[in-house]
Amino acid sequence: MSDFAISRRGVLAGSTFLLASTALPAALWAQTPSKGGRLIVAADSEPRNLNPAIVASNGVFFVASKVVEPLAEASFTGKDGLEPRLATSWEGSADGLTVSFKLREGVTWHDGKPFTSADVAFSALQVWKPLQNLGRVVFKDLEAVDTPDEHTAIFRFARPTPFQLIRNALPALTSVVPKHLYEVGEIADNPANTAPVGTGPFKFAEHRPGEYYRLEKNDAYWGQDQPKLDEIIYRVLPDRAAAAGALEAEEIHLAAFSAVPLADLERISKVPGIKVVSKGYEALTYQLVVEINHRRKELADRKVRQAIAHAIDKDFVVKTIFLGYATASTGPVPRIDVQFYSSGVPAHSFDVDKANALLDEAGYKRGDGGTRFALKLLPAPYFNETKQFGDYLRQALAEIGIDAELVNNDAAAHQKAVYADHAFDLAIAPTVFRGDPAISTTILVQSGIPDGVPFSNQGGYANPELDALIAKAAETLDPDERIALYVDFQRMVAEDLPLINVAEWGFITVARSSVKEVSNNPRWAVSNWADTWIEG
Amino acid sequence: MIALRRFLRTPEAVAGALILAALLAMALSASWFFPRDPQSIAGPALLRPFQDWTLPLGTDRLGRDVLAGLFHGARTSLAVGLAAAAGAILIGAVVGTLAGFAGGVADEILMRITDAFQTVPGFLLALAFVSVAGPSLATVIVAITLGAWTGPARIARAEVLSIRERDYVAGARVIGMHPLEIVFREILPNALPPVLALSSVIVAAAILTEAALSFLGLGDPNRVTWGGMIAEGRAVLRSAPYLSIIPGVALVLTVLGVYLAGEGLVETSAARRMNA
Amino acid sequence: MTRALRLIRRRLIGSIAVLLIVIIGTFLLLEAAPGDAVDAYVVSVGGDASMIEELRRRWGLDQSAATRFAIYISSLARLDLGHSVAFSRPNLDVILERLPNTLLLMGSATALSFCLGTFLGIVAGSRPGSFRDRFLSIGSLALYAVPGFWLGLVLVVVFSVQLRWLPLGGIETIASGKTGAARALDMARHLVLPVASLGVIYLALYLRMMRAGMAEVWRMDFVLAARARGIARRRIVLRHVARNALLPLVTMLGLQSAAMLGGSVVIESVFSVPGLGRLAQEAVASRDTPLLLGIILVSAVLVILVNLAVDLLYAALDPRVGSSGEAA
Repeated sequence: MSDFAISRRGVLAGSTFLLASTALPAALWAQTPSKGGRLIVAADSEPRNLNPAIVASNGVFFVASKVVEPLAEASFTGKDGLEPRLATSWEGSADGLTVSFKLREGVTWHDGKPFTSADVAFSALQVWKPLQNLGRVVFKDLEAVDTPDEHTAIFRFARPTPFQLIRNALPALTSVVPKHLYEVGEIADNPANTAPVGTGPFKFAEHRPGEYYRLEKNDAYWGQDQPKLDEIIYRVLPDRAAAAGALEAEEIHLAAFSAVPLADLERISKVPGIKVVSKGYEALTYQLVVEINHRRKELADRKVRQAIAHAIDKDFVVKTIFLGYATASTGPVPRIDVQFYSSGVPAHSFDVDKANALLDEAGYKRGDGGTRFALKLLPAPYFNETKQFGDYLRQALAEIGIDAELVNNDAAAHQKAVYADHAFDLAIAPTVFRGDPAISTTILVQSGIPDGVPFSNQGGYANPELDALIAKAAETLDPDERIALYVDFQRMVAEDLPLINVAEWGFITVARSSVKEVSNNPRWAVSNWADTWIEG
Repeated sequence: MIALRRFLRTPEAVAGALILAALLAMALSASWFFPRDPQSIAGPALLRPFQDWTLPLGTDRLGRDVLAGLFHGARTSLAVGLAAAAGAILIGAVVGTLAGFAGGVADEILMRITDAFQTVPGFLLALAFVSVAGPSLATVIVAITLGAWTGPARIARAEVLSIRERDYVAGARVIGMHPLEIVFREILPNALPPVLALSSVIVAAAILTEAALSFLGLGDPNRVTWGGMIAEGRAVLRSAPYLSIIPGVALVLTVLGVYLAGEGLVETSAARRMNA
Repeated sequence: MTRALRLIRRRLIGSIAVLLIVIIGTFLLLEAAPGDAVDAYVVSVGGDASMIEELRRRWGLDQSAATRFAIYISSLARLDLGHSVAFSRPNLDVILERLPNTLLLMGSATALSFCLGTFLGIVAGSRPGSFRDRFLSIGSLALYAVPGFWLGLVLVVVFSVQLRWLPLGGIETIASGKTGAARALDMARHLVLPVASLGVIYLALYLRMMRAGMAEVWRMDFVLAARARGIARRRIVLRHVARNALLPLVTMLGLQSAAMLGGSVVIESVFSVPGLGRLAQEAVASRDTPLLLGIILVSAVLVILVNLAVDLLYAALDPRVGSSGEAA
């Protein structure tokens, strides 16, 4: 597990992964936190909707998580990897039909109104279940939320829902929004979607489009002696190359989500006053996936898919594209997930001869000019690395006689081409692993998903056996039994290759050394930063 | 011959011609010197220039040969420049000639359309067009042409207006030539030289526009372009500046060469006309 | 003044036709685009088919193209540029918010290239064929050959990151709370590099035009006469030659406005300037059809207005009035 981030140049010495980091108590910084100050961080996009209860995506959380809080946050040390936020305790019934939450007392919204169980019930039933991208899956069987008193919320499900799944979903899916502001009018049109109101350590102050977001300290925050900072400013720097310069010129303090290009890390780590941190993204693992359109007759042949898997040098991808800040994938669940990961799956080692042999066997002989067949390759435009992997894959495919034509699209056109129109043969997607296969990787291989749902199986792959397994796991209450089912799932996916998992990675934070309490939980960049402070 | 000698007399023109000749040689010999796909991985990533003589200008982020990219990129730049200029001059000459010759409502309509294209910033138009049609070499060329034909159209029209009244045109009319025949056999050939004089400016602008589009990520991903190389190098501008500087210098030299040679040509032909 | 009024009226009538063509053209172009604003929205939000359908209905994207065009034209007549999908606000508000930054950038860059170009043009043209003439014309041509974005990148590395003399992007220090003169100074500091990147490139146009114009004026009778009369060279250059060569440059200002606006798209991207050009890029990236239409329309109006102003200026400075007096 510790090889997740291969700190191959010693850049990250002292901040390797989980094991090391859990042993790093906050007391390592034996300084007294100073209060006050303004933290300026780089933001590479400006989400239009800042309501994390509707849009559970990292771009939104990055800003909104400081304002709107979930029931619980991910933690390196807490039980089940969780730490209380708006809920202080949670418990699931044995039949999988109810989950009860004890809520924090004495919490007020930024407008002064008290936070109660009614807000949780409203958020769950009116927002998470019907409107949220992921909540629609996890809370699909949520029937009612009982509120026996102001600080108790009991979720009632129509069908057994694994408590393990609910627990894994707490940090990302349960941002609570104020009922009193959302109960009037259309939720999707509510002004609080662009100027969020929450219970968090910071209040939303202003957004100057194209320039910055500004958050202000919430003096009435429930956390003792928190927040430390007076202000957080997200400076919009859409250009990835600008963040490194801005850090060096001390115009910003921190750039998260690898805003500083990986190739620049070695240099910038040597600049005095700047630190490079690779932890704090353990619960935000991204997977580099080759999506396959099984409607293409060549790609419907398992041998061809195996050949493609054998043609990819995962080692090169990790070393050259990710410069060591990633790890090669073995299957659909990343190694970082100790709960579900299984290494006992068929491996497809880098072997060009074998790949060529498989293609010959499948009946696709090389024609004139050495080409077997041509296909369209659509790399997702969201990350530098997905685009670079597209360039690499085209070359890797050329080696085995497949002529891939790259099609570059902006986000909207890519979305439509791959997930709605299915106008692709191969696509490259950066999918997020959300700590539970039920809300992430299974969606990519399960059949029967309507057209147009992004980051889902739109390649026309249908395997009844696999579908049955996924359905069974979604209802299995016993955690160990559930894990066993997902181990089977990983084996089947690696065997049949409905898609090819290439690599998995977390991001890198680069900050001025004066910023303290950085990356102290597994979702740090999208957590509330209540304890973060700046040295005087 | 006299013209050539005159052309060669200005050092600027000679310098321009030499640069262009070098560019042409690079473009033509690219596949011969670098038969492999220039986007294939040729060595270790981020190899600095002058370290390994098989990869004299080093490699980029993925280990692709920078020199091979430079050669194949010359081909793209030249192709885009020439195709866009040819397209712009063709469309411009036809529209301008028709407008000038037909006059009246047709002239009015054609010139308003020309105005419209001239009013919308060319780069904005190209940006919108490429984003709609998808980035490929052909769409980039069309996008650039869309913003470049108005200059030739105006000049062609002005020339036609002055030629239209000349004796030989009146003569052609008298002997009953079809108006279209008059346009394309008598008028257009005479209106063309001043329009062609614009070509160097159009080629240069086209090369720069292509580079800017590639820089913004709207170039053809299956082809090496200098703008695309600069954009790629930009992420490592600090640690590997050569990746942005080498293609940048190539761009500047090329565009400068086009300008200088074009200017030399225009001056030579102007002098010839004055002497004639 | 009636002449000016007639000019304005004639220009305005022509402009309406031009604008109509621009509107039709851009609408057709964007109709052809794969993926609409809903697809773009779903990228960031995620959603199923029913939600997508609902959004299409709510945003009026399920109507026929003709209906949408008719709606668009009729609201334009009321100066309503429609609603931006990406910003959930009226397009006109979004555009007007960014417009001043672009105007500032364009205006300063134009002023820089015009003034410096003219000055250097006079320097070069006062002694045609001299070394400094050749040096200046080749040097400016070399600058003209530099891609603006590349020049910008180089300037940022040198002046912002290495020397730390100037800020590396943005239009002003964010949330600084500065007002008045302090704020103006702050903005000026932020503008130095983008204005230089954009302005220095177009300097060559004015320089070369000035120089060519002066070369022509040098050969004119009244200059020859002045030289014969033994008037000091400097005086001839400034009072006679430069003055008469300056006028055609004014028309160039109008012609260049569209190019400047186009050039600022890339420069704004390099320097993170929140202007119209970057807005256009954002609109393209988020498939915000109404917004992109609005930006193209506003830029067209801007170019028309600049050209109108230039025409009026030109009319006011009619060369025939000025030079005939001198020539006598």
